[in-house]
Amino acid sequence: MGRYIAKRIGMSVVTLFVLICLTFAMMHAIPGGPFTSDRNVTEAVQQALNEKYHLNDPVIVQFGNYIKDLLHGDLGMSYQYQGKSVNDFIVDGFPVSGKLGLVTTIFVLLASIPMGIVAALKNGRWQDMLVMVIATLGVTIPSFVIATMLMYLFSYKLGWLPTFGISSWKSFILPMVAMGGYSLAFLARLMRSSLLEVMGQDYIRTARSKGISEFKTITRHALRNALIPVITVLGPTIANLVTGSFVIESIFAMPGLGVHYVTSINNRDYSTIMGVTIFYATFLIAIVFIVDLFYCLIDPRIRYE
Amino acid sequence: MNNIPLEKSRLVSEPADPWGVYTEASANREKIWSKNRTFLGDVWFRFRTKPTAILGLILVLLVVLFSLAGPSFVTHTYKEQNLKYANIPPSLRTVEKDGRYFYISPALQVVEVSAKGELLGALSKKSADNANKRTTFDAGDGQLVTVDYSSKPYTLLNDEGNRIESFHGLHNRTYLLGSDALGRDMLARLMYGARISLIVAVIAALTNLVIGVLYGSISAYAGGMVDSVMMRIVDIINTLPLTLYVILLSMVIEGKGMLSITVALGTVYWVNMARVVRGEILSLKERDFVLAARTIGSSTGTILIRHLIPNAMGPILVTLTMLIPSAVFMEAFLSFIGLGLAAPLASLGTMCSDALATLRTAPYQLFEPALVICILMFGFNFVGDGLRDALDPKLKK
Amino acid sequence: MGIPDKAIQEADINRWASGMEEFMEDRETILEIKHLQTSFLTSSGKVKAVRDVSFSLKKGEVLGIVGESGSGKTVTSLSVIRLLAGTGVIEGGEILFDGKDLAKVSMKEMRTIRGDRIAMVFQDPMTSLNPLIPVGKQITEMIEEHNRGMSKAQLKEEALKLLKLVHIPEAEKRFSSYPHEFSGGMRQRVMIAIALACKPDILIADEPTTALDVTIQDQILKLLNQLREEMDMSIIFITHDLGVVAEVCDRVVVMYGGRIMEEGPVEAIFERPSHPYTQGLMASVPDISLDKNVRLVSIPGSPPDMLNPPAGCPFVLRCAYGRNICNAKVPPVTEIGEGHCSYCWLLTPEAPKENNPYK
Repeated sequence: MGRYIAKRIGMSVVTLFVLICLTFAMMHAIPGGPFTSDRNVTEAVQQALNEKYHLNDPVIVQFGNYIKDLLHGDLGMSYQYQGKSVNDFIVDGFPVSGKLGLVTTIFVLLASIPMGIVAALKNGRWQDMLVMVIATLGVTIPSFVIATMLMYLFSYKLGWLPTFGISSWKSFILPMVAMGGYSLAFLARLMRSSLLEVMGQDYIRTARSKGISEFKTITRHALRNALIPVITVLGPTIANLVTGSFVIESIFAMPGLGVHYVTSINNRDYSTIMGVTIFYATFLIAIVFIVDLFYCLIDPRIRYE
Repeated sequence: MNNIPLEKSRLVSEPADPWGVYTEASANREKIWSKNRTFLGDVWFRFRTKPTAILGLILVLLVVLFSLAGPSFVTHTYKEQNLKYANIPPSLRTVEKDGRYFYISPALQVVEVSAKGELLGALSKKSADNANKRTTFDAGDGQLVTVDYSSKPYTLLNDEGNRIESFHGLHNRTYLLGSDALGRDMLARLMYGARISLIVAVIAALTNLVIGVLYGSISAYAGGMVDSVMMRIVDIINTLPLTLYVILLSMVIEGKGMLSITVALGTVYWVNMARVVRGEILSLKERDFVLAARTIGSSTGTILIRHLIPNAMGPILVTLTMLIPSAVFMEAFLSFIGLGLAAPLASLGTMCSDALATLRTAPYQLFEPALVICILMFGFNFVGDGLRDALDPKLKK
Repeated sequence: MGIPDKAIQEADINRWASGMEEFMEDRETILEIKHLQTSFLTSSGKVKAVRDVSFSLKKGEVLGIVGESGSGKTVTSLSVIRLLAGTGVIEGGEILFDGKDLAKVSMKEMRTIRGDRIAMVFQDPMTSLNPLIPVGKQITEMIEEHNRGMSKAQLKEEALKLLKLVHIPEAEKRFSSYPHEFSGGMRQRVMIAIALACKPDILIADEPTTALDVTIQDQILKLLNQLREEMDMSIIFITHDLGVVAEVCDRVVVMYGGRIMEEGPVEAIFERPSHPYTQGLMASVPDISLDKNVRLVSIPGSPPDMLNPPAGCPFVLRCAYGRNICNAKVPPVTEIGEGHCSYCWLLTPEAPKENNPYK
């Protein structure tokens, strides 16, 4: 168990480092400096700005400084908004994004797993068909389409739910459904097929041969085994969910980190893009790591590996 | 699928010579009992018995046909603008006055429509009475029509100055699926957008295929240290949030053309393919036919290309069909957040993105490209599922 | 058609049963299967896996069911404990146990019998244990189910006793280990411990040694033999290995294509196999004393298509002595010796003498 955790921590650190290097390299590979595209900026001002942000230093020095700052938790200054640091954006936006992400994750888990279980146990009957239809819709309709359709229907046409902002808990409903739609469908399908497979395993037959009830067979023997594939994909699924928030937050005008990210992409605010990317990536790697720990708690085979 | 109860038919009569030697026996001994088909025939058989798979194939083919052959059947082109016909929906709610039909848009444009539904022309504004919320337009031949927008629905006033409350639903014959905010034909743009989306997705998927197959087969075939280093790299890439990297990559590659988005999508999503290929080849390379090829002195490259990769084709094909819809999806996603194609290029994603601004007044502008995206996603997903089931002999009953 | 097949067999079974009484007169019959028919519904049609199988099991007896894959031996045993997968259905016949017809009892009632009165050991020990649950818990679960109200300590004590009974070293330590920490042979011992947990009347062992090494096989067989003597259980031993049959069984049922070909006391079957299929099976067992240049004999051909099985004897297609009647009608039973009978047309009084190994 200890070895497994140590290995996973090592992997995460390496991944994080690779990621920082990649992000840095990519941002510096963009042709032209961050201020060249700005027409309002004169040559002299451009020079001054480059000086101010140390953009005239050799790349390797810039990288060293960047890493040093990162270790202090400093993600640098925005190139677009004078006096604002990337950390400010994160402090502003992350609570909203985090809340949305958390609510959506809970919603997805609470809905998809029971859906998958019902579909598998009622294999071939109407409950199964219903779940499969929902799951197919969820996997095939892009989140921004779901978002705009929901908005059109529930906000414009029916007027039940607010279109934008974060004024009340109601504001979170539509973004949650739109953002979670894909993951919900994906996990429900996975849970269904996994449980179906487990139900055909020899150890389920063994459990039945003991004379225990079907309910106990399912709860004690089938569900835990069926959850394993679901847990393995949980990390990437949550990562997917969180990156999906870029679009959802923009559509519903929620003042989250995703909106800042999309805005900085459109403004070509490189330092913000880089900082927020690294922040997001670190966060996602941490989630994957936590999910892996959880996985190893459930599956003894990993624990003793 | 021979369901005839042979047992019964054989029971019908007592054999004429009960103790004669049963000769059928030796003939039938080595017969394989279930009906035998070739591998491809078997795959096709199982594929075609799945209704969703066939439906998926039909949907994909329809969209391909729509995007390739469609433009020759419409009179408009995707970039032809006509600002006076901006935001005209596919079905028009018109007001009849003196035998003429007028469509009043939510933005208070008045367009005259023929009884068949062809757009005849936009009327120009004559005078406005802001206090009573009325605007008068010149209907040609010295005639004037007045729009009353004091209450919904907007309508015209009759000669006595009362609201005309009867409406005629007409179908837009000029723009069958309506026009967008710049007065471009939605139908032509859909065809063009679907074509761009498909091209981007297919090229991106093929790029992923090539990279994934090369990476996976080299890793599997080399084995040992090379394999474990290559797989460690894959593990690291797998934990990277790829959406972020596609975003960064499409910013790095200059331009807003098809190239940047295709390269961005094409170089990031090969990891899954590499894993699938590696897994297949690892199990295949232990087989006797590879040993046989090696004993006759085939080179590594020949063994890989001639023996291993063709045998791993099934799972590769399934992964490929699944890559296309995710590329369609990602392209739409990137276009939607402003990283995709720039005008006049259009894809289904940029069309959705453009439509967001007018969602309240012209929702059809979003629904139409969204529907095409959904059809494509459905189609490819169904085909992929069908192929996977057809290729998986474990499911053969 | 002459006399209906069923009627012939009814009469024959009665005759055979009286013979059996003499053979094991002091023993009572614990399980009796009559005309069992089990089918699976598939997309291509109905697979008739078991067609009219009848036999009985005495108390303390080890009955071997022998046959190749697809002969219906496993399906027969799964029918007895009603564990047919998915689309399997018992279409006819009776399974008499303890005054009840197991083919017709409710699932709820069946569950009180399963494990407690009739237990089963499966073929593949590697996949038959739940990988996420410690083995001790998998044993106590069974005891707990059929003996409500036992304390945790009692349950553990019982489980430890069982682990020791099946010769698992360091039972105390192994109690909380997971299946993946066990070797195949050890896992099969655990499976046997689970099956024995409630001291069942009948133990069904479905090829319990097939997936194991030969040395381990031998240990498991010895263990089963020992346990049967200690606990006075009846065992249905399903196998395709005639060597195993000779080692552990009292009586043998030979199955092919969902039907019984021959049955009888194990010595009688080995001494005087009276069905072409049994003879084929015997001939294909390698004999170490033979010259190594002698080719192993095999039965040519492959098992019949169970979607459309032959109307008569299913072995006719591979039988060296096949006659037209074999293909057309199910052969009647012929009694060869005490409790030894065979289903083959060549043994009937009407059968001609030429090219007939039995006349």
